[in-house]
Amino acid sequence: MSGAAGPLLEVRDLHMTFGGIRAVQGISFQVAEGETLGLIGPNGAGKTTVFNMIMAELKPTSGEIWFGGENVTRVPTHERVKRGIARTYQVPQPFGEMSVGSNIRVGMAPDNIWKLISEGADLAAEAEIGRSVGFSDKQIDAPPSELAMGDLRRLEMARNVAVSPRLLLLDEVFAGLTLREIGQISELLVEKKRKDGLTYIIVSHDLRALAPLVDRVIVMSFGALIAEGSFDEVVKDEAVRDAYLGQ
Amino acid sequence: MAIDRETMRYLGWWLAFGVLMCLLPLVVGTGTLRILIFAHFLAMFAMSWDFLSGRTGYISFGHPFLIGIAGYTTAILSFRFDVPIYFSIPAAIVATLVGGTLFFLPALRIRGTYFALVTLAFMEILYQLTKVVAPKVTGGTRGISGLESIVTGAVNNYYLSFGIMFVIGVVLWLLIRTRLGVALSAIRMNEEAVRSTGHSTTKLKLFAFSVSAAVSGVGGAFYVHYIGSIAPRGMFEINFLFTILVAALLGGAETIIGPIMGAYFLTVLLEYLRPVMPGMERYLLYGGIALVLYVVRPEGIYSIIADAGRKVQEWRR
Repeated sequence: MSGAAGPLLEVRDLHMTFGGIRAVQGISFQVAEGETLGLIGPNGAGKTTVFNMIMAELKPTSGEIWFGGENVTRVPTHERVKRGIARTYQVPQPFGEMSVGSNIRVGMAPDNIWKLISEGADLAAEAEIGRSVGFSDKQIDAPPSELAMGDLRRLEMARNVAVSPRLLLLDEVFAGLTLREIGQISELLVEKKRKDGLTYIIVSHDLRALAPLVDRVIVMSFGALIAEGSFDEVVKDEAVRDAYLGQ
Repeated sequence: MAIDRETMRYLGWWLAFGVLMCLLPLVVGTGTLRILIFAHFLAMFAMSWDFLSGRTGYISFGHPFLIGIAGYTTAILSFRFDVPIYFSIPAAIVATLVGGTLFFLPALRIRGTYFALVTLAFMEILYQLTKVVAPKVTGGTRGISGLESIVTGAVNNYYLSFGIMFVIGVVLWLLIRTRLGVALSAIRMNEEAVRSTGHSTTKLKLFAFSVSAAVSGVGGAFYVHYIGSIAPRGMFEINFLFTILVAALLGGAETIIGPIMGAYFLTVLLEYLRPVMPGMERYLLYGGIALVLYVVRPEGIYSIIADAGRKVQEWRR
């Protein structure tokens, strides 16, 4: 596979074993540019492990990951980010002792020691990114400890927007949010997709929030892919209902 | 590097500090100057530690290893092989940079307590090596004495040590105010998240380790030529390590200015306690003072002074 006509991301026969536990067992899927893919499954299905492997935070036991027509299986995390893959975490991971603006600054900073020293921070651009995800000017100077969960999710979005990704992996992006915050984050995702043409893979247990966002859904259970299709198709799938409800 | 108004204001304070310290020999005796010379060297070591451990969170218990490499390199080259100190000192700094790279290797895989213990092992290994490997060269347990001085007299040594410390202080302080400083702090807070923002943390850490090693190298090389001798017991003693750590933490880690304050405070305190407490009991008192300060203000002396400055500004408004 090569060229722009192929999928943006392709995961080929991915395996991950932790000692005797086979966390991911031969997962393969593709995501097209501009698509929003839902990745669902019960707790412990291996969804976050797949994200960790796509980001090179975990080295797969076997299998390949292709991005933009390039085999990136051996490419380290920071280089994958430069190629356009970014992620958020189940539990938001802000730089706790820095302001929202400084958190964004880390995302905007070049991976070049000399430029880091010689070029000053672009405060206007930082504020612009902050505002683009819904932060007020006052919040941009605030530390993460003063932010609600919804704002922490925004902060992760802002840090990711700062690295100009093509593919964004969103891990439990609605977890711990109020209905109002879920609505705001959903709007933000739709807006970013419309403006920047982002591609998403969204892991979520909140299927109601996920449904309107996704073009397609894949379902994992015990490390294996058990279903794939539109949202309506997979929620009616017997295997999926069994996996979720144990029937 | 973009220098904003706040940085300029702080540089004004640095300048005032520099001028004040340059005038000091006019009003104090050589005894005090000799105490301050030790404070300057301690400040260099504490800043070196702070740039690595205070910033990135990679706590080093092995800085005497780096200082020792510099000290022994210049001592052996100049004393045993008659290499002029103008060559032996730069060679010592280069050797420390190589040592710093060795120091860096464990940081690729481990951090936290494990990293701290590995660095402690580095110090211990060098301690043992200097005693048993080629004692005719290293001087074994006795070390090497009679090293050439760079300058003579308390006043000259005061200006030399202050000049080096001042330049190191300003450079490191400017560095931590750049985006590089922000990125290094981010490593301390969450290294994985730094990688996921597209940064090679290996490159960032290697830079921090190299700078820290270079500063230790400069400090170590000049230090041994000032005291005129080097011996493994003094160099690799746990008390020496703790003094560096306490100076950095007491003054205020992650600030560069804090370790300078901590070094002055510790050295002056220990020396002025000497007449009333000539024995080891003064270490007990200094330990007590350090403990109280940690409990009351874990951010260190720097934060106390910074807060006071802010209050004065508010009061003036």
